[in-house]
Amino acid sequence: MAGTTVPIRIAHVSDDRLGSAIYFLRRNPRMIIGGAIVLAWLIIAVFAPFLAPYDPIKVNVTDSLIPPGGAHWLGTDDLGRDVLSRVMWGSRVSLSVGVISVSIGLFVGTSVGLAAGYLGGKFDLFIMRGIDALLAFPALILAIAITSALGPQIQNAMIAIGIVAIPAYARLTRGQVLAVRAREYIVAARTIGCSPLRIVMRHIFPNIMNALIVQATLATAFAILAEAALSFLGLGPQPPYPSWGQDINYSQRYLSNLKWWMSVGPGIAIFTAVFGFNFLGDALRDALDPRLRRSG
Amino acid sequence: MTTYILRRLVLMIPVAFLVTIGVFALARLSPADPVLVFAGEERDPAALAAIRKDLGLDQPLPVQYVAWLTRAVQGDLGRSFQNKQKVSEAILERLPATFELGLAALTISITFALVVGILSAVKRNSVVDLLSSSVTLMGVSFPSFFLGIVLILLFAYVIPGHIFPPGGYVPLTTDVGENLRRLVLPAATLATGSLAVNLRQVRSSLLDVFGQEYVRTARAKGLRERTVVVRHALKNALIPVVTLVGIQIGAIIEGAVITETIFSWPGVGRLVVQAIPSNDYPVVQGVVLVSAVSFMLSTLLVDVLYAWIDPRISYDTAKA
Repeated sequence: MAGTTVPIRIAHVSDDRLGSAIYFLRRNPRMIIGGAIVLAWLIIAVFAPFLAPYDPIKVNVTDSLIPPGGAHWLGTDDLGRDVLSRVMWGSRVSLSVGVISVSIGLFVGTSVGLAAGYLGGKFDLFIMRGIDALLAFPALILAIAITSALGPQIQNAMIAIGIVAIPAYARLTRGQVLAVRAREYIVAARTIGCSPLRIVMRHIFPNIMNALIVQATLATAFAILAEAALSFLGLGPQPPYPSWGQDINYSQRYLSNLKWWMSVGPGIAIFTAVFGFNFLGDALRDALDPRLRRSG
Repeated sequence: MTTYILRRLVLMIPVAFLVTIGVFALARLSPADPVLVFAGEERDPAALAAIRKDLGLDQPLPVQYVAWLTRAVQGDLGRSFQNKQKVSEAILERLPATFELGLAALTISITFALVVGILSAVKRNSVVDLLSSSVTLMGVSFPSFFLGIVLILLFAYVIPGHIFPPGGYVPLTTDVGENLRRLVLPAATLATGSLAVNLRQVRSSLLDVFGQEYVRTARAKGLRERTVVVRHALKNALIPVVTLVGIQIGAIIEGAVITETIFSWPGVGRLVVQAIPSNDYPVVQGVVLVSAVSFMLSTLLVDVLYAWIDPRISYDTAKA
């Protein structure tokens, strides 16, 4: 080997990152599929005013109950409103409820879990009994009870679903904190005089981020389903504003006339959105937490 | 075992106490004045004050809570604002319909989950496995109310012969055949969500058990595959499934709200949905409380069952 030179290709760091990202995605096709569906719905929700072909609430009785076709891809309802446009605008409600309620659950649940896990003692005991009490309710029943008490509005649906989501984050975070609390680097940080807040935010929180990302993705799927269920029961946005669950409920009265397209559009929309988040969440869980992959 | 059950019951007390506070507080969160709801058209201030006093709403909140809790533990959940019927009576009247629907859904869910889950695990990566994985993923993502509507559309209107009616209920005591005919679609709708979860659990539990040494030993000594699966693997694989079925009881309770609404099934779920628009909060409160308590008790029952099925688990010495 003496005297020979081996050419070394010095790749750019950005090339390596791109290459490893492509390699990672190729090995995780579920992430590509789930991510693409989620991204598509996010784009539709953000750009609904530009993408929707018609005004979703404008009544046009001359166009009522038109089956899917060239002018109206998903048909029209009894008031002549374009189903596709209502589905596109409805995605704003579903995704915003999903994102905001998950943020409420994530923020409150994680804070409670971090505090309970780190502080321990009586605080942990009391706060976790409260979380147990929340878990004692079937999730949707609790969401229905909260929304019906606060009033049927989209903001209240967000709050209700957010509250229902709190226990999952609190228990997950507390468990993770208990697992890392006794590790050497936490003891070392405490020894050198780091404040509890700094230890929690700088040393514990980054360690539980992956688990929280997975939980948040899966919880968004639940939140979209829960919002659709609340809207179906009349506890979400009120007519004439479009909402997937409410539109399915409204379509029920035309089932006997075989006007199937009124419910199929929003139904498929809920299914694909929930499927996308579930698929992405499962793929993220496999990718970010190998222990779960082995046990699952 | 007895010590464990007693300990669990004692631990349930503070949680149940917090649950009752939550249920009581929920009703008081409502911006609508319950007195106005109860009074209907009546707007005379003196009459309204009398109603407020009669309902005990002129008392401080802690006093109201204690009075409500005292009555609730005796089975008195108040009266409906709409028809003045006792809430406990209204719930008891509708409980058999909900129970029948829930039981049918659970039976469908467990039967299919066991059959398809076993086939799927035994014939891993086969067409059956692929199909069951797809059904699982679709089942957890498919909204039950949309599935219900699709089933109504197909079986009540599109397929000739109108195999199943689009909704309604006939008591079992009146006409068994008609009762079962009307039960099929709502039970199938309610079963789908939990079927998906149960199927996934049966499959993954069996696959875990297939990797265990005693299963390898059973195969090595020449036992038939059927004996290995049924006699050796399945018994142990079903232990986690029992827990999951317990959790599914919660899903069945909440799913009943939606399913009963779609199929006009006169159960407890429909009772609460009908109470919401008229701010009939004693009914909402009563149903939420009964659901939470049922869920807590079913969880306890499952934990006890778990200890009974699996002799390796000794709760008497375990810290709760």
